[in-house]
Amino acid sequence: MVETIGRVARGSLESFGAAGNLTAEAVRSLRDVSTWWPNFSQQARKLGVDSLPIGILIALFTGVVLALLASYSFTNAVPRYLVGTLVQKTVMMELAPVLTGLALAGRVGANIAAELGTMRVTEQVDALETLAYNPIAYLVTPRILAGIIMFPVVVGVAMFVGLGAGWAASLLLLDLSTPEFLKGARWFFDTFDVRYGLVKSASFGFAVTVLGCVNGLRARGGAQGVGAAATSAVVQSAVMILVLDAFWAMVWLLGRAK
Amino acid sequence: MKQRSNDWIVGAVIIATMVLIVAATLFLQEADLGEKRTGITARFRDVGNMQVGNAVVIRGVRAGRVKAISLAPQGWVVAEMDLDEGIVLPSDPVVLIQASTLFGEWQALITAREAAPTIRDVVTQLSDVTGAPPGALAGAVLPDIAQLTTYAGGIAGNVASVAERVRTAFNDSAALELRASIRNFSVLSNDLARAVRVQSRNLDSIAVHIRAGAADLAITTEALRRTAGRADTATSNGEITRIVAETERASSNLRQATERLNALSEALMTTEQSLKSVITKADGVLGKVDRGEGSLGLLVNDPSLYRNSDSLLIDLRVLIQDFKKDPKRYFALRVF
Repeated sequence: MVETIGRVARGSLESFGAAGNLTAEAVRSLRDVSTWWPNFSQQARKLGVDSLPIGILIALFTGVVLALLASYSFTNAVPRYLVGTLVQKTVMMELAPVLTGLALAGRVGANIAAELGTMRVTEQVDALETLAYNPIAYLVTPRILAGIIMFPVVVGVAMFVGLGAGWAASLLLLDLSTPEFLKGARWFFDTFDVRYGLVKSASFGFAVTVLGCVNGLRARGGAQGVGAAATSAVVQSAVMILVLDAFWAMVWLLGRAK
Repeated sequence: MKQRSNDWIVGAVIIATMVLIVAATLFLQEADLGEKRTGITARFRDVGNMQVGNAVVIRGVRAGRVKAISLAPQGWVVAEMDLDEGIVLPSDPVVLIQASTLFGEWQALITAREAAPTIRDVVTQLSDVTGAPPGALAGAVLPDIAQLTTYAGGIAGNVASVAERVRTAFNDSAALELRASIRNFSVLSNDLARAVRVQSRNLDSIAVHIRAGAADLAITTEALRRTAGRADTATSNGEITRIVAETERASSNLRQATERLNALSEALMTTEQSLKSVITKADGVLGKVDRGEGSLGLLVNDPSLYRNSDSLLIDLRVLIQDFKKDPKRYFALRVF
């Protein structure tokens, strides 16, 4: 049992250490623009644009549920226009980044790990090196850049859709008027809310793509190894998203609350 | 071709998303792009919880928002406000800062000076012009619900303290005593009223008597006056000397009679003492008899003794009769 715990701990630390090394190599390979640039838009489309439907779907239902939940929770002592405040704050600062990030962790993280894992076990990565291609610049850097840039795009759209869904639910299901909802949404609105959500989602994109690449490039032993790599990538990405969520809350919200 | 297609789609999505986010932010911020606004400034000694972005209201209608708040020399705070196009200010306008909701939202209300509340503090703030920034409207802060609840809390605390003291002072026993006191006071009041009625009647009677006495006094005075007149005439005939002499004799007789009476009284006191002694002794004897002490007491208190004595007397009487009837039976005289 002790041996098992030690093995798991070592494996986790190795993953994070490998992620650090990979990040450092990816940053160094940024200079090799001609290698990573052609792949960037393809990865951006695959990781970001193609993920928009899942992000929009999540935000749509989240906004509706939040509006109903707020209306259910508020008693007569609380003005109804605070439904707008709750929807705006919660969607922009927490639910849109985190739920979208978790969904993309499954979709993007697994995709990257499976793709790179397959290339690793079929020795395509070795072939790139043989052809004098820098595999990090060719495979990892465009994915990390695409994750960092496109995650905020997906989350931004999710914010907009979530707020709109909450607004529509308030109008159609809660008998709340548009001025009332907007009054609540505008009351405590701060541009910081948007910045906070977007920066957080960029960090999620970075974590998901890096962990996907690390687990994919470390895949061994054929299809089974590729499956294990995809599973590890998803699990580690989900955990890392929650850790980063708490990290940003402590760094930004705690300071502002004081 | 596919590469270009990807580039175009990704670029379009990024740009569209950025536009979307910026537009939504401006919408939620109620930012005005190109709209003409009128700027005014107002001076305050304190702006409370008012913040940039709070509403500016005229007669209850939102007419703009607070643009900036900054400190100014001589202890002033200057608030810059943007008013919507076409807004007309009331005559002699002043700016009142007040809480618009219970949830910490504040607003700046522009109103005419004569329509401002006549609260002493507000009037003082509005009339304060010491070193005021030029061109700024006079402003004041109305007390918010927190201040009012603070005052109310203090008052409630005092009331609670007084109530506690009253409760401590007027416990059950105090209430009973108070009730008894009230009852006693009621009785006392009735007695007092009755006494007042009685005394009033007495006073009436006294007044009548005084009036009669005064009349008698007047008559007596008149009689005295006449007597004095007669005394004047009597003095001249030596009747006064004779009267005085007779009075001295009468006085001497009276003194002797008094002395005799004193002696008689002393003798009577001695007799009384003797009588008391006799009574005491008789009382002692009777007490002994009553308690059954002594022969007489036994005889009086013991019925069996009485019955035995009575039986003895009857037997003795029978014996005597029998003796008289036949003495020989009892005496046997033999010579030989």
